[in-house]
Amino acid sequence: MTGLNLSRRKFLKRGAVVGGGLIVGMQLPGCSFSGPLPIDSADDGFVPNAFLQITADNSVTFYCPSDEMGQGVRTGLATIIGEELDVHPAVMNVVSAGSHEDYNNPEFGFQLTGGSNAVRVFYLPLRQTGANTRALLLAAAAQDLGVPVEQLSTDNGEIVAGDARYPYGDFVATAATLAMPEQAPLKPASEFRYIGSEFSRVDALAKSTGSAQFGIDADIEGMVYAVVARAPVAGAKPLSVDDSKARSMLGVIDIVPISSGIAVVADSYWRGNNAVKALEIEWESLPLAQVDSKQVRADLSAAIQADKGTEAAAEGDLEAGFMGAIHQHESEYFAPFLAHAPLEPVNATLHIQGDRADLWTGVQSVQAAQGLVERITGLDRGNIRIHNLYLGGGFGRRGTLTHIVEVAEVAMAVKRPVQLLWSREDDLQHGLYRPASLMKIRAGVDGSGNITAWQAHRAGGNITGDTMSNLLPAMFPSMPSPILETLASSLGYVFANWSVDPSSVEGLHESYSLTNYQVAHTTVDHGLPLTFWRSVGHSYTGFAVESMMDELAEQAGIDPVAIRLKNTEGNPRMHEVIRRAGELMADMEVPEGHHLGFAAHSSFATDVAQIAEVSVEDNRIKVHKVTCVADVGTAVNPDIVRAQLEGGVMFALTAALHGEIDLKDGAVVQSNFHNYPILRMNEAPAVEVVLIDSGTAPTGVGEPGVPPLAPAVANGVYRATGQRLRSLPLRLA
Amino acid sequence: MIEFVLNGTAVQFDDDPSMPLLWAIRDQFKLKGSKFGCGAGLCGACTMHVDGKATRTCVLPVSAVAGKTIRTIEDLSKDGQLHPLQSAWVAHNVPQCGYCQSGQIMSAAALLADNPQASSADIDAAMEGNLCRCGCYPRIKEAILSVAQLSYDATDTAITSPNVQEEASS
Repeated sequence: MTGLNLSRRKFLKRGAVVGGGLIVGMQLPGCSFSGPLPIDSADDGFVPNAFLQITADNSVTFYCPSDEMGQGVRTGLATIIGEELDVHPAVMNVVSAGSHEDYNNPEFGFQLTGGSNAVRVFYLPLRQTGANTRALLLAAAAQDLGVPVEQLSTDNGEIVAGDARYPYGDFVATAATLAMPEQAPLKPASEFRYIGSEFSRVDALAKSTGSAQFGIDADIEGMVYAVVARAPVAGAKPLSVDDSKARSMLGVIDIVPISSGIAVVADSYWRGNNAVKALEIEWESLPLAQVDSKQVRADLSAAIQADKGTEAAAEGDLEAGFMGAIHQHESEYFAPFLAHAPLEPVNATLHIQGDRADLWTGVQSVQAAQGLVERITGLDRGNIRIHNLYLGGGFGRRGTLTHIVEVAEVAMAVKRPVQLLWSREDDLQHGLYRPASLMKIRAGVDGSGNITAWQAHRAGGNITGDTMSNLLPAMFPSMPSPILETLASSLGYVFANWSVDPSSVEGLHESYSLTNYQVAHTTVDHGLPLTFWRSVGHSYTGFAVESMMDELAEQAGIDPVAIRLKNTEGNPRMHEVIRRAGELMADMEVPEGHHLGFAAHSSFATDVAQIAEVSVEDNRIKVHKVTCVADVGTAVNPDIVRAQLEGGVMFALTAALHGEIDLKDGAVVQSNFHNYPILRMNEAPAVEVVLIDSGTAPTGVGEPGVPPLAPAVANGVYRATGQRLRSLPLRLA
Repeated sequence: MIEFVLNGTAVQFDDDPSMPLLWAIRDQFKLKGSKFGCGAGLCGACTMHVDGKATRTCVLPVSAVAGKTIRTIEDLSKDGQLHPLQSAWVAHNVPQCGYCQSGQIMSAAALLADNPQASSADIDAAMEGNLCRCGCYPRIKEAILSVAQLSYDATDTAITSPNVQEEASS
């Protein structure tokens, strides 16, 4: 931040005022903190708001408020702002914004990338920002050219005046002196140039040439590497440490205790990781050490049988509903713990210099990262700069930032720039998990296929607690650190024992229009850290509900598509997705031995139906093709939407066929990709995506492709074999 | 001291010869395009060419490449001209998070160098060791097939390679 000149100061000041007023959304009390925008303005850079910088040579930079983890958010949001600004996203310089309240997610009230909501919640605010900025540039051009504004138009970064064209950059000096319009009119959809069209992702080239920078690629002169030995059983503290052998190893610089374990600091990751294996540590024993996978399943089963649980949602009269049923059916479904296993293990690089710090990482909440560094270093938040690079996969894993705590603790101890990297073994054995879940559904259906009663009960750990205590610094940035720490530890406890965490039961009834239903919950927490995993509660409730729908249909002698159509009459968007998918399935011709399974699920405001073409040979399930019909509202970039739904299918198929985290003596058994296999190319089905545009604003795309896949495959396997598989991963008897 | 050729230049390495090649390339030669994913040769994110062969380098000691020729993703584009696979990757919108893609492309490039007209089954076999957690497999396969298809066309109509590259990027 050198060479600040007057004109730039003027630009930034205006920018800060305008930027602060643009985004409206839920604000938590005590949630505002100000400070300079994390923008390194070019000397002639015009910063009309937190999202844009336009220089005199017409370079347009978009500061993307959400984190790019593969979902295409940089392209999507650049397209949205570019549509109204009238600049093609491909010619913009799209960068990750740092941490600042102007970038708060309008729905969450702080910066968090998750819940498949970025395109949905930024759709109008970013269009308005683009439209206001374009109107300002038009007003500046009218003044500079001496032409009435009505005679001017724009075309991809240029002001058009009759036959003459002028780059936006020609007018930024004048624009900086004018007042920003607040409600410039937005384009009608019929005039969209970029929204709805297909072009390559803005990061496709960098990610095809090895030049895209991920957190792990940060390289600071003089940095040392930290690798941490953590307790096999989550949360256990070391009772004794013998580090004499590790200390004598080549390249080891120091060994320091931190809150999560013992950190080896070395001159390379490889040497540090070797030295970790030479540490001899005795860990305290926790109750979790008594738990293995069989025990988890037995505990969940006991909880489901013990009572009806705590009511989470209900409507109508359940008893009357069952009385009115002609057919009744009841089943239990199980889903195991799962790890996210992003291909880039979590990492962070921290450089503390005097009263300021720079953090290079890739996380789903830059504000939480900043707050955690503040808490541990005691530095002012405004002096902590977060450089959020590309995320090598997120899937929910990078929303909980224990690795940021670790890097800050190590950097404080060794007083040098530090890069902290988790091994794959660390990732699978010391992370946070999708909770194991047991669900019982009992349902009744009348003679014409109406579901007259629906009773669902889920037992398992709550998803939100461990992550919420980690996110508190982002949600309450102005709260003093000691209070936050107390709150974080107690809130973690409160959430873990929460009787009904909405995320834990989501999806157990919402896809269908039910008259009489009840969803109940019993919290069973074994102490394994839990968090959001792509599609969250839906990742297991979709399996239970959609397996049940096929079972119920068979019980009642109704076609599986027909029963779903019958019970979505009050939900026209879902109804249409099912109808379209049903039509496609009816027309499908499959080779002998192949069978089709159907499932549909609504999540993150998007409705998806999938048809899985499966076969079973030598007792092995093979998925040949998945047809995915989805209504995502306006598809901002249809090709990226398709890619996300394809990816959702693959992610879910990994879980359906292979995914399982086991506990033995409270420790995670799986350690690397040999025993936590990820789908490989030779197992990957063809995926055909059919998008239905209901004309609404955009809805989620990153997660909704996941939930219907496992039940579609299970329903197909039932047709192929007569075996109803009610436990994930799907394994034939 | 170990000598090898890295992206066309003779280089020397005088640290621990048992250090995996991946870390030598990333930390000492500062080429960060090859990635660390598992440290056990199970995911393919670290794939480089060793004497033209796609090789997992996170478990390959530097001592094993003495006198050999190493090529990384950074050397795949020549004189500002993308490798046809890289053009196809962009055209097919292959990458999502992108972390595995250097390894994917290096595996695919080694395959096509050996077998320019690789079939779908050839691709399955050659790419089976490269994991993609985002699930880009259908697009990876389409992109490779599109380049393999070009090589059929090139054989049929004797198109010279610069034209092939243009078509790949269109």
